[in-house]
Amino acid sequence: MKNIILKRVYRTFHEHFFVIIMTSFTLISCHQRKEIDFNSQIKPIINNKCIACHGGVKQNAGFSFLFEQQALGNTDEGSPAIIPGDSKRSRLIQRLLEKDPELRMPYEKPALSKEEIGLFIEWIDQGAKWGTHWAYIPPTKSEIPQVDESFDEKEFLKNPIDNFIAAKMEDQKLKPNRKANINILARRVAIDLTGLPPKGDLFENFINGVITYENYVDSLLKSKRYGEKWASWWLDLARYADSRGYEGDGDRIIWKYRDWVINTLNEDLPFDKFAIEQLAGDLFENPTADNYIATAFHRNSMNNDEGGTNNEEFRTAAIIDRVNTTFDVFQSTTMSCVQCHAHPYDPIRHDDYYKLFAFFNNTQDSDQPVDESPVYMTYNKPEESKINKVLDWIKAYGNSETHKRYKNLFYKYEPQYQANLAGDFINATLINKNNSLFLRNNGSAILKNVYTKENSRIIIHYHSDSPGSIVKIREGSSNGRILTEFTVPVMNWKEKGDSWRPELLNLPFKKVADKVDLYIEAFDPIKDAREFKPNSSGVIGLDQAKPLVFLNWFSFVPDIPGKGKKGYSKIKKYVNEILNANDIVKTPIMLENEDYHKRSTYVFDRGNWLQPTTKVSAGVPEILNSWNKDWKMNRLGLAQWIVDKDNSLTSRTIVNRIWNQIFGRGIVSTIEDMGTQSEPPSHPALLDWMSVHFIKEQNWSLKGLIRSIVLSGTYQQSSIINEKNYQKDPQNVFYSRGPKLRLKAEEVRDQALAVSGLLSSKMGGPAVKPPSPKGLGKHRYAGDTWIDSEGEDRYRRAVYTYSKRTIPYPSFVVFDAGTREVCMVNRISTNTPLQALITMNDPVYVEAAYHLAKSQIDNKNIEDAIKAIYKKATYKNINNFKLESLVNLYNNAIIQYENDPQSLKDFLNIEDTNKHHAGLTIVANAIMNLDEFLTHA
Amino acid sequence: MGNERKIYNEFLLKHASVNSRRHFLKNCTLGIGGLALGNFLAGCSVDKKGLSDSGRSLNPLAPLPPPNLGKVKSVIYLHMVGAPSQLELFDYKPELQKLHNKPCPESLLKGKKFAFIEGVPKMLGPQAEFRKAGESGNWVSSNLPYFNTIIDEVSFLKAVHTDQFNHGPAQLFMHTGSPRLGRPSIGSWATYGLGSENQDLPGFMVLTSGGGTPDGGKSLWGSGFLPSVYQGVQCRSKGDPVLYLSDPKGISRDLKRDLITSINEINSDEYKSYKDPEILTRISQYEMAYRMQIAVPEVMNINDEPESVKELYGVTPGEESFANNCLLARKLVSKGVRFVQLYDWGWDSHGDLEETALDLGFKTKCKEIDRPIAALILDLKRLGLLEETLIVWGGEFGRTPMQENRSGVQNAFFGRDHHGDAFTMWMAGGGIKKGVVHGETDEFGYKPVSGRVSVHDIQATILHLLGFDHEKFTYDFQGRPFRLTDVEGEIIQEILA
Repeated sequence: MKNIILKRVYRTFHEHFFVIIMTSFTLISCHQRKEIDFNSQIKPIINNKCIACHGGVKQNAGFSFLFEQQALGNTDEGSPAIIPGDSKRSRLIQRLLEKDPELRMPYEKPALSKEEIGLFIEWIDQGAKWGTHWAYIPPTKSEIPQVDESFDEKEFLKNPIDNFIAAKMEDQKLKPNRKANINILARRVAIDLTGLPPKGDLFENFINGVITYENYVDSLLKSKRYGEKWASWWLDLARYADSRGYEGDGDRIIWKYRDWVINTLNEDLPFDKFAIEQLAGDLFENPTADNYIATAFHRNSMNNDEGGTNNEEFRTAAIIDRVNTTFDVFQSTTMSCVQCHAHPYDPIRHDDYYKLFAFFNNTQDSDQPVDESPVYMTYNKPEESKINKVLDWIKAYGNSETHKRYKNLFYKYEPQYQANLAGDFINATLINKNNSLFLRNNGSAILKNVYTKENSRIIIHYHSDSPGSIVKIREGSSNGRILTEFTVPVMNWKEKGDSWRPELLNLPFKKVADKVDLYIEAFDPIKDAREFKPNSSGVIGLDQAKPLVFLNWFSFVPDIPGKGKKGYSKIKKYVNEILNANDIVKTPIMLENEDYHKRSTYVFDRGNWLQPTTKVSAGVPEILNSWNKDWKMNRLGLAQWIVDKDNSLTSRTIVNRIWNQIFGRGIVSTIEDMGTQSEPPSHPALLDWMSVHFIKEQNWSLKGLIRSIVLSGTYQQSSIINEKNYQKDPQNVFYSRGPKLRLKAEEVRDQALAVSGLLSSKMGGPAVKPPSPKGLGKHRYAGDTWIDSEGEDRYRRAVYTYSKRTIPYPSFVVFDAGTREVCMVNRISTNTPLQALITMNDPVYVEAAYHLAKSQIDNKNIEDAIKAIYKKATYKNINNFKLESLVNLYNNAIIQYENDPQSLKDFLNIEDTNKHHAGLTIVANAIMNLDEFLTHA
Repeated sequence: MGNERKIYNEFLLKHASVNSRRHFLKNCTLGIGGLALGNFLAGCSVDKKGLSDSGRSLNPLAPLPPPNLGKVKSVIYLHMVGAPSQLELFDYKPELQKLHNKPCPESLLKGKKFAFIEGVPKMLGPQAEFRKAGESGNWVSSNLPYFNTIIDEVSFLKAVHTDQFNHGPAQLFMHTGSPRLGRPSIGSWATYGLGSENQDLPGFMVLTSGGGTPDGGKSLWGSGFLPSVYQGVQCRSKGDPVLYLSDPKGISRDLKRDLITSINEINSDEYKSYKDPEILTRISQYEMAYRMQIAVPEVMNINDEPESVKELYGVTPGEESFANNCLLARKLVSKGVRFVQLYDWGWDSHGDLEETALDLGFKTKCKEIDRPIAALILDLKRLGLLEETLIVWGGEFGRTPMQENRSGVQNAFFGRDHHGDAFTMWMAGGGIKKGVVHGETDEFGYKPVSGRVSVHDIQATILHLLGFDHEKFTYDFQGRPFRLTDVEGEIIQEILA
């Protein structure tokens, strides 16, 4: 377009053609007259052909289709390109029809078709009416369609969902499948609701008609297994893992959050509350322990503990992850696009991203390698009772402020000052530039602007291997008054020969009214009498200059009140015992900074944290629901905004995702995105009806939503493919057959353990490490971190398996589970030879086959034994063809073991295996590799 | 269009003819000897009625032609984990020697961020002798004596830059085009786009040496938002080369064959009633698994290689070594594996310990890679495979001309800090000019002076050589097309033949 001026000379010439072409288009469009719908007719063309150069990223020639005002406003040429009502004068049309390739749009791409240009002309002539993308308009409860009687006759119509599905089938001239066989349906719904095949008695009661399908479904929903199954879905979204990610990928103790999810799903906490607690439970008036634990949702972002990383860089990365995840999880909106520029095609502005960023930018966590602060502490019973005694004592003798301070200290170690924010180092620095502050002999550092709030005690989180060293904290500078001092003791862990562990000191502190700079110094009166041995874990360069003390953080509290009262010294002793108690479970949580610590938020130029530009305050994108003035401008307000009834995306998102879990396809098939580039919903009226129903009738109950789906006739159909229907609808977009899905990674394992009787029903607690190949967990620094769990813990449900981001459990990744590094909205199901290797050869599956076979070793009738094993695994009666095949397999196995007794001895490394059991194990192994076992039909 | 269709929407529709069900039929009939295929073939014939969409839905790794004429079929990517020092290998800086042990000039420190250097460090002269080698007369250090023999095959990129200076993010950037997690790796892009030429082996294989896995973890060969079938398969030197490859004890090959026969018979019977094409896919995957169980140990076995070849590489069978991995890489590409990724741990030469000292541990590392790399290129050449294979060598960034002074105290040994502004990588093989140097750094090897290329440029060039336009090779995710090279990257024409 360099020659634009020169080329313009020719334009009058082209305009002759233009008039002729225009006339013919007008003629075509005269027949139509129907009003052009921007969303369904114009926007798709714009998104496909125009928006790459005239959208949120690029606005070539000053023209963009992103917002109405931009599209209709002046371009670089000083006048609008679209003149509503006048397509002839609209330069947009002129440029679409242009013959000169330098001027014709789309530039350097094929011209639009006659039909497409015709649509644009018609649209402009009709006034260029802009439209809002469907997903940004709140859903309204659509009318339940009436459908042909034939659907009723087939007993397809079980609830309103089916009317919507049937109406579309009518349009497509499709007929529903018959109902699935009862045993097939029983297994399908059990796996969908609990992730496991049904228990024998429940299954029998159902197929024998003792209980109805509804009763059966309700029993499954009541089972605790329900929460364990659906947790996997949520934990993918929450990017839950038991490790911190990146290079070090060390342990993260956050399993209480996983248990919170499982329990909360089982209790069926309404989804709006479920969402609010996770986003902002810490901001409730009086948060419970559970409210805090729920906020670990956003502490699942990764920490980069690699030496030499900048904590602020990765704190920022975590905030970015939280903004993106929040919108991925609740809004089906690809907010990550907006980090660097306006959204390429959705009407969201660049600064909108940072307005959302501002909601999250004031939490206390800051990518600390030392610990996961802020954390919520769960104590053992004895400590818990000591805490209650101390808090009761304070209640009796002190004021509510002191009570609050100590409660916060015990449960959250807060408020705290990170020592690595110090500067002005002399003979002092930070480990690896981002870790603990350490002081060498005669070293000092200054931690600025500390509000001690006239507190008279300081809590110091520290570590040292130089007992006898002296540490002093002075007011302001080297000659300031001494606020506190201590001689480094021999640390407890060392005395007991335990592994390295920092400890807490509780010391008197001089009261300071205003904010103060803490001048921290250390010296060693014993002088060079000891050696510091650097270990290989990266604490390096220290041997030449021995560090005396490592400091992590400080906190300030008042004295325990009630001095002189009976029992005072015991209470003081309790305080110190509580602070250094063993086995505290510290769960990372969200906590806001105190007001004096608030960070400002800036727009980052091109998303780069090192290039902040305009300052912004918290806010939400205009295109979505408006802000209610009663909400506070914080995370809690944001959470309320997300689950507000006027938010057009939240309920649609959840309905669509749950639907996708059950049918293997969303009503909007791009389940991660409902923006303008998403696939249009296959059943828009159904999606809206269900979304409204979910809020108003089901009161955000996930169980209610899931229940209504599995009770539908649509769900209960047989999944056998009818060839006629298949020709018309190979992807089953219109649901003329039931779902037949490959089991999810967790279900593949759980099912094998369940049918073989090995599965443990133990719930909750720290993650377990079922056996995995030797050396797999090997980490350069930490050695082999995978130590196989013992006993029952080898057979726990998959949801409890330790999830290490850099070394995911092999069979889960191969069966398409993610690595939980970022939010995963959708697992794409694949079918690969590596999966076959797992289910045939992984000892877990071989062991399961062995135990499945064991149930029939006393059955000397081979056919009966095989029939029974098959039925136990698949909940079906075997047909003759399959039976024959398996009997053959059994016989071949027997021949092998007779011809080669050594191989029988070797088999599974189990000494007393007889050939009958071995043969049945081979058969069971085959059955556990069948399509009908790995899928739910 | 649903996700399930996206797998092949980009290519399959364009190249449908190549992936006709012929491929599947071929697999059926040429399937493992002795498999009872009677009913199973009936399954194939149903295919004619159109129940199956294409070869790729049956086999997501079915080979596809590249959209453009590619120069190479396979890539062997040698990544030196930890970032090797360009100043002791290829980027000869005599001027730096003159400043040895002198305080670093302030101009080099101004506005710079380092991973570990604090305050004013000292300059560190090259800890190696340099010489000109080959007909090209390009510089190489005495740490790499064998490199002389192949230096004329190589195009050097001496001014590569990255904006990441921590290992994990920099490795992710190098292999996935983004320093944050969640993107597919270059090897998975390649196998997604081209499939695999050998259906008995994974299309993308990863081998590690040096005693550690890379800092970036398995995401370096992960498939990100691409289907997981395109992720790299890590081969191990101890135990099963591929996890769960070997049969459980007491199950003979014959019995395993019977087992799979039975599984597939029953599955084809199930197909008769359900007509679900996924069942056909499963049948072919079990066949492949069986073949893979034979093919992988075969290709991973270097014991039976001729002595001359073992000698050439300097292999130590049974151990985990870079030399073994180079020989394996050659074997794998000659079998049609699309992308072979080698990671060698131990190049993080901070000088904090003996093993990371430039005059000690670093020299050992050089010895470990020098002969095998030369052998790899000579061997590929000998077999006529060099012209259809691309070799890429590099780390995640380079190293500073300053001596590292962690925590403000000079490190115990000679070592250098992380440095992303300028470092050396090289490529050799199909489509690459021979004996060329592109890019130049200043007198300290600190900043690029000319020919500066980025990580995305390197990725664009690799994709170009495989036959892709990196700007058009996209995958729709979250409503937008994603590229390996994000929104950047230019092909490095200067090194293309």
